[in-house]
Amino acid sequence: MLLRTSGLTKRFGGLTAVDGVDFGIEEGELCSLIGPNGAGKTTFFNLLTGVLPVTEGRIEYRQDGEWVDLTDDDPHETALRGIHRSYQITNIFPTSTVLENVRIAAQAHGGTDAWKLHRNVAEFEEYEAEALDVLDRIGLASAADTDAQNLSHGQKRNLEVGIALAGDPDLLLLDEPTAGVSSDGIGQIVDLIEDVAADHSILLVEHNMDVVMGVSDRIAVLHQGSLIADGPPEEIRENEDVQEAYLGGYDPEGTARGDSEPVEGGAGA
Amino acid sequence: MAISDDRQSPDARSGDVTERPPAEEGEDPTSDVERGGEASADDAATAERSLRRTLSEHRVHAAVVVAMGLYPPLYQLLISTPLGAEFAVVLPPVRTMVAVLYVGLFAMSFDFISGYTGYLSFGHSLFYGTGAYLVVLAATGKLPGLSAGTPFMGLLLLGGILAALIALLVGTVSFRLTGVYFAMITLGFAEVAHVFIRNWDHVSPSPQDGANIGGDVGAFQIGVPGVDTLSVGIGRLVGDSYENLFGTGIEFNEAMVSFYAVGAVVLVSYFAMQRIVHSPFGRVMIAIRENEERARAIGYDTYRFKLVAFAISGFFAAVAGALFAGFRRSVGPSSTFDLFVTADALLAAIIGGFGTLAGALYGHLFHEFLGGILSTESHGLSRYLRENLPPDLLNAEVAGVPLLDVVNVLIDGRAELYLGLVFVLFVLYVPKGILGTIRDRIGGTAAEHLPGHVRKYFRDRR
Repeated sequence: MLLRTSGLTKRFGGLTAVDGVDFGIEEGELCSLIGPNGAGKTTFFNLLTGVLPVTEGRIEYRQDGEWVDLTDDDPHETALRGIHRSYQITNIFPTSTVLENVRIAAQAHGGTDAWKLHRNVAEFEEYEAEALDVLDRIGLASAADTDAQNLSHGQKRNLEVGIALAGDPDLLLLDEPTAGVSSDGIGQIVDLIEDVAADHSILLVEHNMDVVMGVSDRIAVLHQGSLIADGPPEEIRENEDVQEAYLGGYDPEGTARGDSEPVEGGAGA
Repeated sequence: MAISDDRQSPDARSGDVTERPPAEEGEDPTSDVERGGEASADDAATAERSLRRTLSEHRVHAAVVVAMGLYPPLYQLLISTPLGAEFAVVLPPVRTMVAVLYVGLFAMSFDFISGYTGYLSFGHSLFYGTGAYLVVLAATGKLPGLSAGTPFMGLLLLGGILAALIALLVGTVSFRLTGVYFAMITLGFAEVAHVFIRNWDHVSPSPQDGANIGGDVGAFQIGVPGVDTLSVGIGRLVGDSYENLFGTGIEFNEAMVSFYAVGAVVLVSYFAMQRIVHSPFGRVMIAIRENEERARAIGYDTYRFKLVAFAISGFFAAVAGALFAGFRRSVGPSSTFDLFVTADALLAAIIGGFGTLAGALYGHLFHEFLGGILSTESHGLSRYLRENLPPDLLNAEVAGVPLLDVVNVLIDGRAELYLGLVFVLFVLYVPKGILGTIRDRIGGTAAEHLPGHVRKYFRDRR
């Protein structure tokens, strides 16, 4: 087990967005987190990475053979422990170059290097080399000197994953990497996810069921903040609670085809 | 690939300006050795590469410094030619150039925090005022524990450190907010200080008018403290002057000596800030400006980075304020802690180019240049026209109004009006400012890319 939550709960006033979730991820696993819009998936991510304070419950992370408590960590602390995320809505450094977007993320793991005020950034070649490796991997090496804002949407989605990758994560949280990507671009992102999954543990939030069923080792289903199912893809496909949850609030045909609307309410409301 | 990259002109891509790593690689045979991440190169090679890079990056800096250094004698020369009166109207006098330097430094310190991290420090005059008042209070013996004879260089440092500490305090509270709320709360802190200093009767019997340094205090020395031969006094009337320096026959008056001395401090300060901007720390500052949420998510404690950046910015703002007080030998609340002092820096940074550092100084130079031409003083355009145009032309009517009145109404002392218009035009049509636009055109910083462009220009002409 790499990460586990126990009784994880988040309330916004009267609304319980995440409700007593007990969940865990094994090392090397690719686990998908699915659920209708508003199920609390993004809120769950925000709790894991420390963006939102936890109302109740605990988050623990396995580091060097010891369990450490992440419940009260800030986002930069969870990142430095090796948990990195990508965003549902593209969240990059728009007027920096593609290379710099990834390089700055690699530099974050250089300990006190970021505080070396007197050294020229060009002297730290290891971060640039690391960034170029990541760019190769996400297929953006030829666009290294382009301003990130000038990339196509599909390229931005790749860069989104690339920035998360550059932090050399042990656990990668991917929030709808295919959001808004045209159907022919999805295959390329799936390739990237599978490539990354070879040497990382991944928690994937995704609406495209073809993608989810294709790549996942395990699937967990959130509905109204609660975990209603957790198991291998075949099992989830047959699960009646899951079908009910999707039928209850959502058009299952649209979901299965994967052209569901990409934007989910930010707070999971 | 369908990428519209309009920031870099085709020239920049195909020219001899190598794109990455910047500029120096084309000339440096050792640089491709360790691209693969193998940090095995020995220290000597690293040092040599570092030196080469430093030298090649500073060619443009050197050119600017030389041009600035030649300005005072050139100015003297030009205003003694037959066209002297015309030159006097257009060119800023040397004493104005001293103000360009220290206000320029203040504007650069403003740009350092506001242009690079994106947090608009509308209370920046707080730090400028701190440096200025520290000098005056220390020189008049009003600061306990600080003798009136403390070397000026020491006061520059002390003022900077004090301002950095104040910046840490202000920042601790203010950086919990973002955007316009950050601007407002820093403005609030500066206004509190403004009101306080207007009423602090320890400063002088009439604190609302500020304080002066009397003639009993000698000129402030810039140089090596305690070594007279390596120091020069600054100040409009009390500074050092040399009538026949090194037997060259060139006269260096007080303003010129002050210009070089203040310029040296500003130059050192600029290089210090420029160094930080190009350091890994500087890249984090830019990441915070670009997307603070993501900067935090990839592992930066942005709050601490912002605090330190703010303290550095406050330090140099105070150095600028101390230079101002050292040169002018008088301070007042309205010339130090006032919101309009910050506004000058904002104006300079916008005109020169937000987030370009050096641009802020050029922006203020532009400000003073325009202000000088439109001023009511003896070197202003309006007085020149009144004195040099024939009387019948002055009395000639333009649309029913004598030309003299047109001059008086439209030109005489109207600098602020036109500056306001210029500001609006810049925001609308040159949002990246002077230096920002130049950088876009040549595809990078002037220091890195301009030499390549100049070389290419001359090669193409041949």
